[in-house]
Amino acid sequence: MDTLWQVLGFVVNTELLATYGWRIVLGMKITALVVITSCSLGFVLAFVIARARMSRNLLITNAAFAYISFFRGTPLLCQLYLVYYGGGEFRPFFQEIGVWWFFRDAYYCCILAFTLNTAAYQAEILRGAIAAVPRGQVEAAKALGLSPWRIARHVVFPQAMLVALRPLGNEVIGIVKASALAAIVTLLDLMGQTRFIFARTFDFSVYLYCALIYLAITEAIRRAVNALEFAFSRHVRARVTVAAKPALVSGEAAVIGL
Amino acid sequence: MKTNGILGRLGLATLALAASMGAAAAKDWKTVRIGIDATYPPFESVNAKGEIVGWEVDYATELCKRMKVTCTFQNQDWDGIIPSLIAGKFDMIMSSMNITPKRTQVVSFSDVYFATPPVFVGSAANKSNDVSPAALKGKTIGTQSSTTFSNYLEAYYKDSEIKLYPGGDEPQNDLKAGRLDYTVTDLIVGNTFVEKVGAGCCRVVAEIKRIPEIFGPGVGAAFRKEDEDLKAMLNKAIAEVDADGTYKVIADKYFKINIRGK
Amino acid sequence: MAWFELLFGPEGWIGLLLNGTVVTVALAVTTVPFGFGAGLVLALMKLARSRVLRAVCDAYTTFFRGIPDLLALFIVYFGLQALIDKLGKLAGAGGHIEVSAFAAGVIALSTVVAAYSSEVWVASLAAVPPGQGEAARSLGLNRRQVFRLITLPQLARVALPGLGNIWTILMKDTALISTLAVTDLLRAASEASRATTRPLVFYTAAAVIYLIFSVTSGSVQSWLERRANRGYA
Repeated sequence: MDTLWQVLGFVVNTELLATYGWRIVLGMKITALVVITSCSLGFVLAFVIARARMSRNLLITNAAFAYISFFRGTPLLCQLYLVYYGGGEFRPFFQEIGVWWFFRDAYYCCILAFTLNTAAYQAEILRGAIAAVPRGQVEAAKALGLSPWRIARHVVFPQAMLVALRPLGNEVIGIVKASALAAIVTLLDLMGQTRFIFARTFDFSVYLYCALIYLAITEAIRRAVNALEFAFSRHVRARVTVAAKPALVSGEAAVIGL
Repeated sequence: MKTNGILGRLGLATLALAASMGAAAAKDWKTVRIGIDATYPPFESVNAKGEIVGWEVDYATELCKRMKVTCTFQNQDWDGIIPSLIAGKFDMIMSSMNITPKRTQVVSFSDVYFATPPVFVGSAANKSNDVSPAALKGKTIGTQSSTTFSNYLEAYYKDSEIKLYPGGDEPQNDLKAGRLDYTVTDLIVGNTFVEKVGAGCCRVVAEIKRIPEIFGPGVGAAFRKEDEDLKAMLNKAIAEVDADGTYKVIADKYFKINIRGK
Repeated sequence: MAWFELLFGPEGWIGLLLNGTVVTVALAVTTVPFGFGAGLVLALMKLARSRVLRAVCDAYTTFFRGIPDLLALFIVYFGLQALIDKLGKLAGAGGHIEVSAFAAGVIALSTVVAAYSSEVWVASLAAVPPGQGEAARSLGLNRRQVFRLITLPQLARVALPGLGNIWTILMKDTALISTLAVTDLLRAASEASRATTRPLVFYTAAAVIYLIFSVTSGSVQSWLERRANRGYA
């Protein structure tokens, strides 16, 4: 065990790992929490917004359009500053309605900003995915007398999710990368801990270790999405010839994709 | 595309690029670039026109006059200020940087040119002056990251929640916003904040003793280890400005107390 | 109104914000030729015959697409300084070579943009019918001429939507440069809000300006796409 450590020492700065390794693990935990919470809440919110965007009520559609345009058209860092620092300016108001405890905490502010941001992107992905389901199927289902809920649940949703899988996977990867911004508002996630360690040791390699960890996480997500897509598209792949396969599955995803 | 063609052209381009880059003459100091983290009023801050202003700016300009060099100031975030010095982005750091053993390992420092104690700043509503670790257990204390203040908090205030900020004025701003119970900063910075931006919300609660191992003897200018000549030039200028009383003139414009700390 | 005064009054910060806007636009526009150009070169290398070359380019792309942009900017920004310094010493320069913060920012952004855009370029290169290239070769054009005269003009049409997406990402990534002490729009807003402790005014103003950019970019992009698709059904 000792010799393994020594050998490792030639490649990696083991002294740094021994002293600060726990900080890196702590940072990874915070990053994971932030990503999972924001993506899940964002997914739920995205459904609402996508639905609003496709509504026939002009007011609702335009409101959804404005929301999406704002959160896709401004940098996430700017949105984060607005929530965190702007929120601080509203303290008296928030205290009055009893929600100051939320905006006081950097963690909650990050979750709020990331959720609102990812919901906008996910809403666009969902909208495109739902639109990719052939209208004829929906009409046929209606002719058969299926209720709107059943149509959504059995006809539209399964096919739309398959199309949306890859872009949504890209979006999750995007949030993992964007979560590094939390360090700027004092949240000690993986990036924040890395900056802390760098400021103490002046050892540049700590940034490279951080990069490798992020790389491992994003690669893992990418491969998981690939595997999921493969597993769920069996019904699509089985019946078509090899030549047509790429066009059917990944072609649509390319149209919808970011 | 033939590889040797491309490689050959890339090689030529690199040489040409390297040759064309003007190198600032090192041994003959005509211009000195000073790195400064302008988030620390009244020592250094940015005004509405985007200029870096403050006591340290005036003092450095005076020192440069004595050294007969032209000085330019570059705003650099505190976290990266020492790596940027070592990498060559500027030649000197004059940003209220305390001389500590850890920093002396990577850079060399000039003579001390001021020393002031750190303080706890708290909210005006909080009437207690007790800032012992026991009293602050569970409280949220904020300060700038990679500073002697953060080292101090990490060493002695393990039971409090410590929040670190990239800028020097951000902890005070968050104190005003109500996110922190206390901040730790320099006495002068704290006073300036309480008088101007933080009027009414906050007050300076207590002074902290300058423990030598953490805070060092005082503030000095930082240089790369190999720039001994520039350091000697600056030390000479510091002594000159002290001797003929200009130090007091510049300091009196900003401060009511003596910060020389010798 | 207090907001109006903070921005446009005698001590107003609008000048600083507008300067920052200019820097942001300059950063994004300057990065386009370097970033997209390097991306195209990268894409061509990925389709090269040499396996080593393909592997290196794939590794580059995977690395810079897999890590946070903020981290990539940090690595390039600090690593670049150290590298230039070492190169300078090798080339015999006596002192320290000055790389302005702006140039470092452009280089850092170009590194990331090259990685993203190389994927778009690869897909676009594949979309140009290979039959045209083969026909040209049989007519006697060499590979470089085929690329210059046949592939390149048609690339723009196919690549435009993907590149437009990357331009949007680039515009927002310039905000990350604010953490590296280049006074772009977001940093100007930060400095103003810290000096006055009125963050809402300035960050809202910054957001509005960014929105104007993205809406304008969207319109320009639509116009470009319509023009590029002129001859096609």
